[in-house]
Amino acid sequence: MTNESQGEFLGSVEEHLLIHGIKPDDLENVRKFGAAIGDRMPEYIRHFYAWLETRPDYREYFHDGDLLGRVQSSQIDHWQSFFDARVDEAYLATRVQLGEAHARIGLPLPSYFAGVSQSFVIFTEKLYEGGLSPEEHAASMISIVKLLNLDTTIVVDTFSKLVAEQFAEQSMALAEMSTPVTAIWDDILMLPIVGIIDSNRAQDVMAAVLAKIMETRAKVFIMDISGVAVVDTAVANHLIKITKATKLMGCECMISGLSPAIAQTIVDLGIETGDVRTTTTLRDALEVGFATIGVSVSRA
Amino acid sequence: MLRTTPARDQSHVHRIKSELDLSVALAQLRKWSMVNGFDAPGATRLVTAASEIGRNILKYAGKGELRYRPVAEGRKTGVEVAAVDQGPGIADIELAMQDRSSSSGTLGLGLPGVKRLVDRFDINSSPESGTHVTFRLWKR
Repeated sequence: MTNESQGEFLGSVEEHLLIHGIKPDDLENVRKFGAAIGDRMPEYIRHFYAWLETRPDYREYFHDGDLLGRVQSSQIDHWQSFFDARVDEAYLATRVQLGEAHARIGLPLPSYFAGVSQSFVIFTEKLYEGGLSPEEHAASMISIVKLLNLDTTIVVDTFSKLVAEQFAEQSMALAEMSTPVTAIWDDILMLPIVGIIDSNRAQDVMAAVLAKIMETRAKVFIMDISGVAVVDTAVANHLIKITKATKLMGCECMISGLSPAIAQTIVDLGIETGDVRTTTTLRDALEVGFATIGVSVSRA
Repeated sequence: MLRTTPARDQSHVHRIKSELDLSVALAQLRKWSMVNGFDAPGATRLVTAASEIGRNILKYAGKGELRYRPVAEGRKTGVEVAAVDQGPGIADIELAMQDRSSSSGTLGLGLPGVKRLVDRFDINSSPESGTHVTFRLWKR
Protein backbone atom coordinates (compact mmCIF):
# COMPACT_ATOMS: atom_id res chain seq x y z
CA MET A 1 0.00 0.00 0.00
CA THR A 2 1.49 3.34 -0.98
CA ASN A 3 1.34 6.42 1.20
CA GLU A 4 -0.84 8.08 -1.35
CA SER A 5 -3.60 5.52 -1.16
CA GLN A 6 -3.32 5.38 2.61
CA GLY A 7 -4.35 9.01 2.51
CA GLU A 8 -7.65 7.92 1.01
CA PHE A 9 -8.31 5.53 3.83
CA LEU A 10 -6.88 7.48 6.69
CA GLY A 11 -7.20 10.75 8.44
CA SER A 12 -4.44 12.04 10.66
CA VAL A 13 -3.40 10.33 13.86
CA GLU A 14 -4.86 13.23 15.86
CA GLU A 15 -8.22 12.89 14.14
CA HIS A 16 -8.44 9.22 14.95
CA LEU A 17 -7.56 9.78 18.58
CA LEU A 18 -10.10 12.59 18.78
CA ILE A 19 -12.92 10.55 17.21
CA HIS A 20 -12.49 7.81 19.78
CA GLY A 21 -11.90 10.14 22.71
CA ILE A 22 -8.45 8.74 23.33
CA LYS A 23 -6.24 10.95 25.51
CA PRO A 24 -2.59 10.44 26.46
CA ASP A 25 -3.80 8.99 29.77
CA ASP A 26 -5.68 6.28 27.90
CA LEU A 27 -2.58 5.23 26.03
CA GLU A 28 -0.68 5.15 29.29
CA ASN A 29 -3.42 2.95 30.82
CA VAL A 30 -3.20 0.51 27.91
CA ARG A 31 0.58 0.33 28.35
CA LYS A 32 0.20 -0.33 32.08
CA PHE A 33 -2.18 -3.17 31.41
CA GLY A 34 0.23 -4.56 28.79
CA ALA A 35 3.06 -4.41 31.32
CA ALA A 36 0.90 -6.27 33.84
CA ILE A 37 0.39 -9.10 31.35
CA GLY A 38 4.07 -8.90 30.57
CA ASP A 39 5.69 -12.13 29.44
CA ARG A 40 2.41 -13.98 29.15
CA MET A 41 1.63 -12.27 25.85
CA PRO A 42 2.72 -15.22 23.65
CA GLU A 43 0.21 -17.44 25.48
CA TYR A 44 -2.46 -15.41 23.75
CA ILE A 45 -1.97 -17.51 20.60
CA ARG A 46 -2.71 -20.76 22.42
CA HIS A 47 -5.92 -19.41 23.92
CA PHE A 48 -7.01 -17.75 20.72
CA TYR A 49 -6.58 -20.88 18.58
CA ALA A 50 -8.21 -23.10 21.19
CA TRP A 51 -11.23 -20.89 20.66
CA LEU A 52 -10.84 -20.51 16.90
CA GLU A 53 -10.71 -24.26 16.30
CA THR A 54 -14.25 -24.48 17.62
CA ARG A 55 -15.42 -22.04 14.96
CA PRO A 56 -16.93 -23.22 11.67
CA ASP A 57 -14.77 -20.75 9.71
CA TYR A 58 -11.57 -22.27 11.00
CA ARG A 59 -10.89 -24.98 8.44
CA GLU A 60 -11.97 -22.85 5.58
CA TYR A 61 -9.63 -19.96 6.34
CA PHE A 62 -6.71 -21.59 8.14
CA HIS A 63 -6.23 -24.92 6.46
CA ASP A 64 -2.65 -24.27 5.52
CA GLY A 65 0.18 -24.62 8.04
CA ASP A 66 2.46 -22.00 6.43
CA LEU A 67 -0.29 -19.47 6.41
CA LEU A 68 -1.18 -20.26 9.99
CA GLY A 69 2.42 -19.66 11.11
CA ARG A 70 2.53 -16.31 9.33
CA VAL A 71 -0.82 -15.26 10.71
CA GLN A 72 0.16 -16.19 14.26
CA SER A 73 3.42 -14.31 14.18
CA SER A 74 1.74 -11.20 12.83
CA GLN A 75 -0.99 -11.55 15.46
CA ILE A 76 1.64 -11.39 18.21
CA ASP A 77 3.14 -8.32 16.56
CA HIS A 78 -0.29 -6.81 16.31
CA TRP A 79 -1.11 -7.11 19.99
CA GLN A 80 2.41 -6.13 20.94
CA SER A 81 1.93 -2.87 19.12
CA PHE A 82 -1.55 -2.52 20.61
CA PHE A 83 -0.19 -2.66 24.16
CA ASP A 84 2.79 -0.49 23.24
CA ALA A 85 0.02 1.99 22.40
CA ARG A 86 2.20 4.28 20.28
CA VAL A 87 -0.49 5.46 17.91
CA ASP A 88 1.40 7.00 14.99
CA GLU A 89 1.16 6.67 11.22
CA ALA A 90 2.91 3.32 11.22
CA TYR A 91 0.39 2.05 13.76
CA LEU A 92 -2.53 3.12 11.58
CA ALA A 93 -0.87 1.63 8.50
CA THR A 94 -0.65 -1.83 10.06
CA ARG A 95 -4.40 -1.66 10.79
CA VAL A 96 -5.02 -0.78 7.15
CA GLN A 97 -2.95 -3.81 6.14
CA LEU A 98 -5.03 -5.99 8.41
CA GLY A 99 -8.23 -4.75 6.77
CA GLU A 100 -6.70 -5.41 3.34
CA ALA A 101 -5.65 -8.91 4.29
CA HIS A 102 -9.13 -9.77 5.55
CA ALA A 103 -10.78 -8.33 2.47
CA ARG A 104 -8.46 -10.31 0.18
CA ILE A 105 -9.32 -13.64 1.73
CA GLY A 106 -12.97 -12.66 2.04
CA LEU A 107 -13.13 -13.24 5.80
CA PRO A 108 -16.65 -12.29 6.88
CA LEU A 109 -16.80 -9.25 9.16
CA PRO A 110 -18.75 -11.07 11.89
CA SER A 111 -15.81 -13.49 12.16
CA TYR A 112 -13.43 -10.57 12.55
CA PHE A 113 -15.57 -8.96 15.24
CA ALA A 114 -15.87 -12.28 17.07
CA GLY A 115 -12.07 -12.55 17.00
CA VAL A 116 -11.64 -9.05 18.44
CA SER A 117 -14.13 -9.74 21.24
CA GLN A 118 -12.48 -13.04 22.00
CA SER A 119 -9.05 -11.40 22.14
CA PHE A 120 -10.40 -8.88 24.64
CA VAL A 121 -11.70 -11.74 26.78
CA ILE A 122 -8.37 -13.56 26.60
CA PHE A 123 -6.33 -10.53 27.64
CA THR A 124 -8.62 -9.36 30.40
CA GLU A 125 -9.78 -12.69 31.82
CA LYS A 126 -7.21 -15.32 30.96
CA LEU A 127 -3.85 -13.56 30.83
CA TYR A 128 -4.35 -10.84 33.43
CA GLU A 129 -3.57 -12.09 36.92
CA GLY A 130 -3.50 -8.88 38.89
CA GLY A 131 -0.82 -6.27 39.37
CA LEU A 132 -2.94 -3.15 38.95
CA SER A 133 -4.94 -1.36 41.62
CA PRO A 134 -8.72 -1.66 41.22
CA GLU A 135 -8.85 1.95 39.99
CA GLU A 136 -6.04 1.40 37.51
CA HIS A 137 -7.67 -1.80 36.32
CA ALA A 138 -11.06 -0.14 35.77
CA ALA A 139 -9.46 2.75 33.91
CA SER A 140 -7.40 0.44 31.72
CA MET A 141 -10.54 -1.50 30.67
CA ILE A 142 -12.12 1.69 29.35
CA SER A 143 -8.92 2.75 27.61
CA ILE A 144 -8.47 -0.67 25.98
CA VAL A 145 -12.01 -0.58 24.62
CA LYS A 146 -11.41 2.88 23.15
CA LEU A 147 -8.23 1.78 21.42
CA LEU A 148 -9.87 -1.44 20.20
CA ASN A 149 -12.61 0.70 18.67
CA LEU A 150 -10.01 2.79 16.88
CA ASP A 151 -8.37 -0.36 15.46
CA THR A 152 -11.68 -1.87 14.43
CA THR A 153 -12.85 1.31 12.73
CA ILE A 154 -9.80 1.39 10.49
CA VAL A 155 -9.93 -2.32 9.69
CA VAL A 156 -13.63 -2.19 8.81
CA ASP A 157 -13.27 1.01 6.82
CA THR A 158 -10.43 -0.48 4.76
CA PHE A 159 -12.28 -3.76 4.39
CA SER A 160 -15.51 -2.23 3.13
CA LYS A 161 -13.72 0.04 0.65
CA LEU A 162 -11.79 -2.88 -0.81
CA VAL A 163 -14.87 -5.07 -1.04
CA ALA A 164 -16.64 -2.25 -2.87
CA GLU A 165 -13.68 -2.05 -5.28
CA GLN A 166 -13.80 -5.79 -5.90
CA PHE A 167 -17.49 -5.53 -6.58
CA ALA A 168 -16.89 -2.72 -9.08
CA GLU A 169 -14.23 -4.81 -10.83
CA GLN A 170 -16.56 -7.76 -11.09
CA SER A 171 -19.30 -5.55 -12.49
CA MET A 172 -16.92 -4.19 -15.09
CA ALA A 173 -15.83 -7.69 -16.02
CA LEU A 174 -19.48 -8.66 -16.47
CA ALA A 175 -20.30 -5.54 -18.47
CA GLU A 176 -17.62 -6.44 -20.98
CA MET A 177 -19.34 -9.70 -21.69
CA SER A 178 -21.77 -8.56 -24.37
CA THR A 179 -21.75 -10.41 -27.67
CA PRO A 180 -22.52 -8.06 -30.56
CA VAL A 181 -22.38 -10.25 -33.65
CA THR A 182 -22.56 -7.84 -36.57
CA ALA A 183 -22.96 -8.33 -40.32
CA ILE A 184 -20.14 -6.15 -41.64
CA TRP A 185 -20.68 -7.13 -45.29
CA ASP A 186 -23.11 -9.27 -47.21
CA ASP A 187 -22.35 -12.81 -46.03
CA ILE A 188 -19.68 -11.74 -43.54
CA LEU A 189 -20.30 -11.68 -39.79
CA MET A 190 -17.89 -10.37 -37.26
CA LEU A 191 -17.60 -10.50 -33.49
CA PRO A 192 -14.89 -8.73 -31.53
CA ILE A 193 -14.46 -10.46 -28.19
CA VAL A 194 -13.14 -8.24 -25.44
CA GLY A 195 -12.27 -9.22 -21.90
CA ILE A 196 -12.73 -12.64 -20.47
CA ILE A 197 -14.24 -15.80 -21.89
CA ASP A 198 -15.75 -18.19 -19.41
CA SER A 199 -18.03 -21.10 -20.12
CA ASN A 200 -21.23 -19.04 -19.83
CA ARG A 201 -19.97 -16.42 -22.19
CA ALA A 202 -18.73 -19.03 -24.65
CA GLN A 203 -22.23 -20.49 -24.72
CA ASP A 204 -23.71 -17.02 -25.27
CA VAL A 205 -21.33 -16.38 -28.13
CA MET A 206 -22.10 -19.75 -29.67
CA ALA A 207 -25.86 -19.21 -29.48
CA ALA A 208 -25.67 -15.63 -30.77
CA VAL A 209 -23.43 -16.56 -33.70
CA LEU A 210 -25.43 -19.58 -34.79
CA ALA A 211 -28.68 -17.61 -34.64
CA LYS A 212 -27.14 -14.81 -36.68
CA ILE A 213 -25.83 -17.24 -39.29
CA MET A 214 -29.28 -18.75 -39.56
CA GLU A 215 -30.80 -15.30 -39.94
CA THR A 216 -28.32 -13.79 -42.43
CA ARG A 217 -27.16 -16.99 -44.19
CA ALA A 218 -23.64 -15.62 -43.81
CA LYS A 219 -20.79 -17.61 -45.33
CA VAL A 220 -17.93 -16.13 -43.30
CA PHE A 221 -17.64 -15.48 -39.60
CA ILE A 222 -14.68 -13.59 -38.17
CA MET A 223 -14.05 -13.77 -34.46
CA ASP A 224 -11.47 -11.22 -33.38
CA ILE A 225 -9.77 -12.15 -30.14
CA SER A 226 -7.16 -9.39 -29.92
CA GLY A 227 -9.01 -8.05 -26.89
CA VAL A 228 -9.29 -11.36 -25.07
CA ALA A 229 -7.52 -11.33 -21.74
CA VAL A 230 -6.46 -14.96 -21.51
CA VAL A 231 -6.37 -17.84 -23.95
CA ASP A 232 -5.78 -20.98 -21.92
CA THR A 233 -6.81 -24.51 -22.87
CA ALA A 234 -10.38 -24.03 -21.68
CA VAL A 235 -10.80 -20.81 -23.65
CA ALA A 236 -9.14 -22.32 -26.71
CA ASN A 237 -11.48 -25.29 -26.51
CA HIS A 238 -14.47 -22.99 -26.36
CA LEU A 239 -13.22 -21.10 -29.41
CA ILE A 240 -12.55 -24.31 -31.32
CA LYS A 241 -16.03 -25.58 -30.55
CA ILE A 242 -17.54 -22.35 -31.87
CA THR A 243 -15.61 -22.67 -35.12
CA LYS A 244 -16.74 -26.28 -35.51
CA ALA A 245 -20.40 -25.44 -34.95
CA THR A 246 -20.31 -22.54 -37.41
CA LYS A 247 -18.70 -24.80 -40.00
CA LEU A 248 -21.51 -27.29 -39.57
CA MET A 249 -23.88 -24.47 -40.51
CA GLY A 250 -22.00 -23.89 -43.72
CA CYS A 251 -20.17 -20.83 -42.53
CA GLU A 252 -16.39 -20.51 -42.63
CA CYS A 253 -15.02 -19.32 -39.30
CA MET A 254 -11.80 -17.43 -38.85
CA ILE A 255 -10.13 -16.31 -35.68
CA SER A 256 -8.20 -13.09 -36.02
CA GLY A 257 -6.07 -11.08 -33.66
CA LEU A 258 -3.59 -13.71 -32.53
CA SER A 259 -0.66 -11.92 -30.97
CA PRO A 260 2.80 -13.53 -31.07
CA ALA A 261 2.60 -14.14 -27.33
CA ILE A 262 -0.74 -15.91 -27.57
CA ALA A 263 0.39 -17.99 -30.55
CA GLN A 264 3.40 -19.13 -28.55
CA THR A 265 1.46 -19.97 -25.40
CA ILE A 266 -1.05 -21.98 -27.44
CA VAL A 267 1.79 -24.05 -28.86
CA ASP A 268 3.41 -24.52 -25.44
CA LEU A 269 0.13 -25.57 -23.92
CA GLY A 270 -0.08 -28.25 -26.60
CA ILE A 271 -3.48 -27.19 -27.85
CA GLU A 272 -4.52 -28.94 -31.06
CA THR A 273 -5.96 -26.19 -33.17
CA GLY A 274 -6.70 -28.59 -36.02
CA ASP A 275 -7.90 -26.85 -39.17
CA VAL A 276 -9.07 -23.65 -37.49
CA ARG A 277 -8.18 -20.73 -39.73
CA THR A 278 -6.36 -18.00 -37.86
CA THR A 279 -4.87 -14.68 -38.86
CA THR A 280 -2.78 -12.13 -37.07
CA THR A 281 -4.85 -9.11 -37.97
CA LEU A 282 -8.49 -8.46 -38.61
CA ARG A 283 -7.49 -7.02 -41.99
CA ASP A 284 -5.98 -10.33 -43.08
CA ALA A 285 -9.14 -12.14 -42.02
CA LEU A 286 -11.25 -9.70 -44.02
CA GLU A 287 -9.16 -10.27 -47.13
CA VAL A 288 -9.60 -14.02 -46.81
CA GLY A 289 -13.30 -13.46 -46.20
CA PHE A 290 -13.74 -11.34 -49.31
CA ALA A 291 -11.90 -13.95 -51.37
CA THR A 292 -14.18 -16.65 -49.96
CA ILE A 293 -17.35 -14.86 -50.98
CA GLY A 294 -15.84 -13.76 -54.28
CA VAL A 295 -15.64 -10.04 -53.71
CA SER A 296 -12.62 -8.11 -54.83
CA VAL A 297 -11.79 -4.84 -53.22
CA SER A 298 -9.79 -2.23 -55.08
CA ARG A 299 -9.21 1.49 -54.91
CA ALA A 300 -11.52 3.53 -57.09
CA MET B 1 8.71 -10.02 24.98
CA LEU B 2 8.66 -10.93 21.30
CA ARG B 3 10.16 -8.34 19.05
CA THR B 4 10.04 -9.86 15.61
CA THR B 5 8.73 -7.76 12.81
CA PRO B 6 8.24 -9.90 9.71
CA ALA B 7 9.10 -8.38 6.35
CA ARG B 8 6.07 -6.73 4.79
CA ASP B 9 4.16 -9.62 3.31
CA GLN B 10 3.96 -9.06 -0.41
CA SER B 11 1.93 -12.06 -1.34
CA HIS B 12 -1.49 -11.63 -2.87
CA VAL B 13 -4.25 -14.09 -2.15
CA HIS B 14 -7.42 -14.49 -4.14
CA ARG B 15 -10.14 -16.85 -3.05
CA ILE B 16 -11.50 -18.67 -6.07
CA LYS B 17 -15.05 -19.92 -5.93
CA SER B 18 -16.32 -19.05 -9.39
CA GLU B 19 -15.10 -18.33 -12.88
CA LEU B 20 -15.72 -14.67 -12.17
CA ASP B 21 -13.40 -14.80 -9.14
CA LEU B 22 -10.76 -16.37 -11.33
CA SER B 23 -11.17 -13.71 -14.02
CA VAL B 24 -10.82 -10.91 -11.49
CA ALA B 25 -7.76 -12.57 -9.95
CA LEU B 26 -6.17 -12.97 -13.39
CA ALA B 27 -6.90 -9.35 -14.32
CA GLN B 28 -5.18 -8.23 -11.13
CA LEU B 29 -2.27 -10.57 -11.72
CA ARG B 30 -1.82 -9.11 -15.21
CA LYS B 31 -1.89 -5.60 -13.83
CA TRP B 32 0.57 -6.57 -11.11
CA SER B 33 2.93 -8.26 -13.57
CA MET B 34 3.07 -5.21 -15.84
CA VAL B 35 3.75 -2.90 -12.88
CA ASN B 36 6.41 -5.30 -11.65
CA GLY B 37 8.45 -5.36 -14.83
CA PHE B 38 7.19 -8.29 -16.89
CA ASP B 39 7.08 -7.62 -20.62
CA ALA B 40 3.88 -8.29 -22.58
CA PRO B 41 4.83 -11.84 -23.70
CA GLY B 42 5.91 -12.64 -20.14
CA ALA B 43 2.65 -11.34 -18.73
CA THR B 44 0.66 -13.43 -21.24
CA ARG B 45 2.65 -16.52 -20.32
CA LEU B 46 2.18 -15.84 -16.62
CA VAL B 47 -1.53 -15.15 -16.76
CA THR B 48 -2.21 -18.11 -19.04
CA ALA B 49 -0.35 -20.52 -16.77
CA ALA B 50 -2.11 -19.08 -13.71
CA SER B 51 -5.42 -19.45 -15.51
CA GLU B 52 -4.76 -23.14 -16.17
CA ILE B 53 -3.96 -23.99 -12.57
CA GLY B 54 -6.70 -21.71 -11.26
CA ARG B 55 -9.26 -23.40 -13.47
CA ASN B 56 -8.23 -26.78 -12.14
CA ILE B 57 -9.24 -25.58 -8.67
CA LEU B 58 -12.75 -24.91 -9.92
CA LYS B 59 -12.93 -28.09 -11.95
CA TYR B 60 -11.66 -30.53 -9.35
CA ALA B 61 -12.06 -28.92 -5.92
CA GLY B 62 -14.79 -26.34 -6.43
CA LYS B 63 -12.95 -23.70 -4.47
CA GLY B 64 -9.49 -22.74 -3.32
CA GLU B 65 -6.95 -19.96 -3.50
CA LEU B 66 -4.73 -18.45 -6.12
CA ARG B 67 -1.68 -16.74 -4.61
CA TYR B 68 1.21 -14.86 -6.09
CA ARG B 69 4.26 -13.10 -4.77
CA PRO B 70 7.51 -11.67 -6.05
CA VAL B 71 10.53 -13.98 -5.78
CA ALA B 72 14.25 -13.70 -6.46
CA GLU B 73 16.93 -16.31 -6.98
CA GLY B 74 20.47 -15.09 -7.54
CA ARG B 75 20.17 -12.43 -10.18
CA LYS B 76 16.84 -13.63 -11.47
CA THR B 77 13.66 -12.01 -10.29
CA GLY B 78 10.14 -13.02 -11.05
CA VAL B 79 6.96 -14.32 -9.58
CA GLU B 80 5.74 -17.41 -7.82
CA VAL B 81 2.16 -18.45 -8.34
CA ALA B 82 0.38 -21.12 -6.32
CA ALA B 83 -3.01 -22.74 -6.70
CA VAL B 84 -4.07 -24.34 -3.44
CA ASP B 85 -7.20 -26.33 -2.78
CA GLN B 86 -8.62 -28.76 -0.26
CA GLY B 87 -10.15 -30.96 -2.90
CA PRO B 88 -9.89 -34.73 -3.34
CA GLY B 89 -6.33 -34.52 -4.65
CA ILE B 90 -4.94 -36.04 -7.82
CA ALA B 91 -4.81 -39.82 -7.65
CA ASP B 92 -2.02 -40.30 -10.15
CA ILE B 93 0.25 -37.29 -10.58
CA GLU B 94 2.46 -39.00 -13.16
CA LEU B 95 -0.55 -39.69 -15.31
CA ALA B 96 -1.75 -36.12 -14.87
CA MET B 97 1.65 -34.85 -16.02
CA GLN B 98 1.52 -36.82 -19.28
CA ASP B 99 0.50 -35.10 -22.45
CA ARG B 100 -2.92 -36.40 -23.28
CA SER B 101 -3.96 -34.13 -26.07
CA SER B 102 -6.87 -35.79 -27.79
CA SER B 103 -8.71 -35.14 -31.01
CA SER B 104 -11.85 -34.29 -29.04
CA GLY B 105 -10.13 -31.15 -27.88
CA THR B 106 -10.09 -32.12 -24.24
CA LEU B 107 -6.67 -31.79 -22.78
CA GLY B 108 -6.81 -33.40 -19.39
CA LEU B 109 -5.44 -31.20 -16.65
CA GLY B 110 -3.37 -29.00 -18.92
CA LEU B 111 -0.50 -29.40 -16.47
CA PRO B 112 2.16 -30.55 -18.96
CA GLY B 113 1.37 -27.40 -20.92
CA VAL B 114 1.77 -25.23 -17.85
CA LYS B 115 5.13 -26.85 -17.16
CA ARG B 116 6.30 -25.88 -20.63
CA LEU B 117 5.14 -22.30 -20.12
CA VAL B 118 6.99 -21.66 -16.88
CA ASP B 119 10.52 -21.89 -15.47
CA ARG B 120 9.89 -24.07 -12.45
CA PHE B 121 6.94 -26.27 -11.71
CA ASP B 122 5.98 -28.21 -8.65
CA ILE B 123 2.93 -30.23 -7.69
CA ASN B 124 1.90 -31.86 -4.43
CA SER B 125 -1.34 -33.65 -3.95
CA SER B 126 -2.97 -35.99 -1.48
CA PRO B 127 -6.51 -36.77 -0.40
CA GLU B 128 -5.72 -35.34 3.07
CA SER B 129 -4.15 -32.03 2.18
CA GLY B 130 -5.61 -31.35 -1.25
CA THR B 131 -3.57 -30.09 -4.17
CA HIS B 132 -0.81 -27.46 -4.27
CA VAL B 133 0.43 -26.49 -7.70
CA THR B 134 3.25 -23.95 -7.71
CA PHE B 135 5.28 -22.40 -10.47
CA ARG B 136 7.87 -19.70 -10.90
CA LEU B 137 8.44 -17.52 -13.90
CA TRP B 138 11.46 -15.25 -14.29
CA LYS B 139 11.48 -11.90 -15.99
CA ARG B 140 13.39 -11.90 -19.28
